[in-house]
Amino acid sequence: MTRNDIKDLILEIIADIDEDADFDNLQSDQPLRDQLDLDSMDFLDIVMELRKRHQLQIPEEDYPHLATLSSCVNYLEPLLENS
Amino acid sequence: MKIPLLIIGSGLSGLAAAIRYARYSPDVLILEKHSRIGGLNSYYYRNKILIETGLHAITNYAKPKDKKAPLNQIFRQLKLNRKNLSLHEQNQSEIRFIDRESLIFSNDFSLLREQIQEKFPHCAEGFQNLIAAINAYSPYKPKPFLSTRAFVGRYISDPLLSEMLLCPLMYYGSSLENDMDLSQFIIIFRSIFMEGLFRPHGTIKEFLDMLFDHYKNFGGSIRTNSPVKRIIYKARRVYAVQLESGEIIHCDNILSTIGYEETLALLDRQVEKDTARRICFIESIFLLPISCRDNFSQTKTIIFYNKSETFRYERPREIIDLNSGVICFPSHFSGVEPRQYFEIRSTHLTDYQRWKSLENDKPAYIAEKHNLSRRSGNFIENIIGNFNENIVYEDTFTPLTIERFAGKKEGAIYGRPRKIKDGRIGFDNLFLAGTDQGYFGIIGSMLSGISMVNQHILPTL
Repeated sequence: MTRNDIKDLILEIIADIDEDADFDNLQSDQPLRDQLDLDSMDFLDIVMELRKRHQLQIPEEDYPHLATLSSCVNYLEPLLENS
Repeated sequence: MKIPLLIIGSGLSGLAAAIRYARYSPDVLILEKHSRIGGLNSYYYRNKILIETGLHAITNYAKPKDKKAPLNQIFRQLKLNRKNLSLHEQNQSEIRFIDRESLIFSNDFSLLREQIQEKFPHCAEGFQNLIAAINAYSPYKPKPFLSTRAFVGRYISDPLLSEMLLCPLMYYGSSLENDMDLSQFIIIFRSIFMEGLFRPHGTIKEFLDMLFDHYKNFGGSIRTNSPVKRIIYKARRVYAVQLESGEIIHCDNILSTIGYEETLALLDRQVEKDTARRICFIESIFLLPISCRDNFSQTKTIIFYNKSETFRYERPREIIDLNSGVICFPSHFSGVEPRQYFEIRSTHLTDYQRWKSLENDKPAYIAEKHNLSRRSGNFIENIIGNFNENIVYEDTFTPLTIERFAGKKEGAIYGRPRKIKDGRIGFDNLFLAGTDQGYFGIIGSMLSGISMVNQHILPTL
């Protein structure tokens, strides 16, 4: 997967969790939590969707890597290299 | 085959937990001892009439745009589309302390504020401070037991007002006699007074069917008529359950929604003595011809009443305590279509032990049921006007009915007085959800199931 594919994947998962999510002014280096009003249950959903779609196991201590869109891409890039 | 997640009980906490898990993995099995799902919130048929067992009203009404509200969180976590379910808000409800004072509330919190301003002007400022304290409190953080009475007493100087505020909250959500755990009070205060009451369209059957279809669409499984006889374990790990039929089902995790002591019994573990008594109710259902609907004020959805000097929320000395109770009109919600009959329900505190002593004397038990239903019907006429001569059908649930059909110890719908909020009962892969985990009502039960799966099961997948 390219960095752009990963970014689209994350946005698609978030759109699936919250159909009203507004990505227009999303800053990729700012926390998703604040910009999209996500809570810890929503982050669990992102982790679970990644597992379901790409069989990724993300340990709890790695959840902070999912804080911003850029950090998600950085973290997931090596893991999704071959998908 | 080994099942990754076994859920014991298909009440609302079990169903919500199962859907939450099935959303990510279909390998989940619910074991239900009855032929029908729903647990305490189910239904049955008499003379082809569908009668609901538990539902008066659902708490936590919220508008769709209020994303953080518990109701919308549930929809989001279970991936249910709220647009597929129409909700009917309550008209108005009343807290009536007979011959003393009455407070009206609705899903618009400002009504209760105005009522207190008007009827308890000396407490208006205290009430504002109480609301500020409630808003500032984090009830979901684990905390030791704190007394609600002590907390409310700090803000409300008039005991009559504190009793009046506590009356509906205790009836709709306290497992404890004469007090409440503070966190529980904060949750239930917000869910009843600040959010409000509603009913889903149709009956509890349509609501359960919707949840169950959703669960099946995710690929989840259920086995009804499958009571669990014991849970097989070694040290801190459970391995399987054995059904009453003898069949053994192996599993990785178990979520039990049947209650703490009820679960320990399946583990052959000694139950630590809880000295606090369980709260038990008797509920009567009166059906009248639909033409009688105009005899009642549409504005009253639920009436919480009390007539004694101090409101006593405790196991009564007599078999029934008519001094307080709840009267519910299930059709008095905005936009509810009339059904075949007009329904009135009454709920009072009752003493389980007295019913237990009648268990083996069926004629005496039936006579007592009928007698108390009549006493309740006659008593509440003082509050809502005459209706007894029009009754076409009447039925009563005693704690024995609930114990028999829903398996709740002593038929106590709110379970054991003290709760186990983290759901941990001494095992690494067996957890508790539902009533004894600590959240009540349909919304509370569903949140309980969801949060226990989120905390204990999903992260281990």
